Amino acid sequence: MVLSGYPRSTLLIVAAGVVVVLAAVAMNVTWLVLHWRTGLLVILGLIFTALIISGVVLNTLFLAREIRRNEHQNAFLNAVTHELKTPLASIRLYLETLQTRTVDEARRREFQDIMIADCDRLLHTIDQVLRAGQGSAARPRLKGVRVNLPEMVADCLKLAQTRHHLPEGALVFANRLPEDAARTVLGDADELRSAIGNLIDNAIKYSQPRVEVYVEVDAVEDDDLVVRVKDRGIGIPKAELKRIFKRFYRIQEAVTRFKGMGLGLFIVNSVARRHGGRVYAESEGRGQGSTFTLLLPAAPPR
Amino acid sequence: MGRILIVEDESHLAEGLRFNLEAEGHEVKVVETGEQAIEEVRRDGFHLMLLDVMLPGIDGFRAAAQLRSEGRFLPILMLTARGRPEDVLQGFEAGADDYLPKPFELKILLARVRSLLRRSQWQQARPPAAGPPAGSRFEFAGKTIDFDRLEITAGGKTMRLTTMEANLLRYLVAREGKVVSRKMILDDVWDVHEDTDTRAIDNFIARLRKYVEDEPSQPKHLQTVRGTGYRFVANPK
Repeated sequence: MVLSGYPRSTLLIVAAGVVVVLAAVAMNVTWLVLHWRTGLLVILGLIFTALIISGVVLNTLFLAREIRRNEHQNAFLNAVTHELKTPLASIRLYLETLQTRTVDEARRREFQDIMIADCDRLLHTIDQVLRAGQGSAARPRLKGVRVNLPEMVADCLKLAQTRHHLPEGALVFANRLPEDAARTVLGDADELRSAIGNLIDNAIKYSQPRVEVYVEVDAVEDDDLVVRVKDRGIGIPKAELKRIFKRFYRIQEAVTRFKGMGLGLFIVNSVARRHGGRVYAESEGRGQGSTFTLLLPAAPPR
Repeated sequence: MGRILIVEDESHLAEGLRFNLEAEGHEVKVVETGEQAIEEVRRDGFHLMLLDVMLPGIDGFRAAAQLRSEGRFLPILMLTARGRPEDVLQGFEAGADDYLPKPFELKILLARVRSLLRRSQWQQARPPAAGPPAGSRFEFAGKTIDFDRLEITAGGKTMRLTTMEANLLRYLVAREGKVVSRKMILDDVWDVHEDTDTRAIDNFIARLRKYVEDEPSQPKHLQTVRGTGYRFVANPK
């Protein structure tokens, strides 16, 4: 044996060294094994913790969303209650007034006009709620009648002018369609009128008291017709530009200053999608006014 | 007949109410927001307020609570589309005296208006709990309070007092040098006998100090007596 030539003491030292190294390796390996296990446990623990945390986070998020949805629905219910009961209260008040008091002819006529306006308002509210109930399913509706878009927009503007008692010039209409362009869309005339009416009503409502609304009808490439409604109203924060089309959604700042049910834009969006079109909003932000663009496919030529 | 403030942003309703209340012989003013309502009541004594709840800006609940916290106790009849029990309760908690859900019957509304006005007239007809000090003028430390004209003159400047401010000041002046508790003030000046929040009084005192003190943050005439109430001192040493 090679080792046999070495003195005993050297052998002892070497042996001791080997034992020590082996022990160290063994300890190292054991340490590694042990720590690998701990590491595994740690990793497992981390995974579970991560799962639990993400669970909690998700739960909180869903809860918050549910609460927010609940709040929106609550606000919606309050708004609907108000929108239904206010005109009713007014009609009842005037009817009772006419019943119990002697009222001269001019006053009587004035009261009757007010009651008719209140009836219209009731009808409008009921229409909105029913229309919003139809949902936002994106099933393009190809049947329907041919609707002359610029004429319909002009009609809607005229109606809005009288309904909101606006001065001449508060609403400006521009038909920018080229002479030879298609000007009809295929669809449900009531729905389209409601969509355009809602855009115009919004532009007026959120501009009060200084109403300057500009509406144009135009054509874009691939045969789409465009209705653009521009106002100089309160504007829309960038983060809210998409959300405003959700059902019941209302911008927090607007809630305290303007009454509404949170249905108008949802209806516009639903109607646009059912007609194979779309609607989007642009705004430079708070106080900068807004522009709503409604795109509708033109009807194929007969 | 009373002076009535209608707070209603729905013009049809507001004008219908105005027509009917004027036909009953009342004097009517219409405002559209909670802010305007608070402003109007601060400026002018109304005998009654018809208050809508869903108003732009400050709503009816908050407007009522604000007025009560300022110690303005005119009768408030809340008129609102929200008729659920929790809404009614919230209305009363905010300080309404009566609550009528829309749509309402005209006759019922008019009856309630009459009843609220009658009650406040009875209260006003009661002899004042605190008679004016000798004469209707009171002079102290170079300042003059004229209880008839609701004015206070200090340093050549004349400021107007509201009726309630004058009443409270008169009450304190009549008890010059004596400690008056907040409870006594509520009982005698406001004629409120419940355990109402007495912070309204503290707000009033703070306002009075602006009139009678040279240095409102270091009051000499209108002293706070800790844990008890207040004391008016005409000539502090």
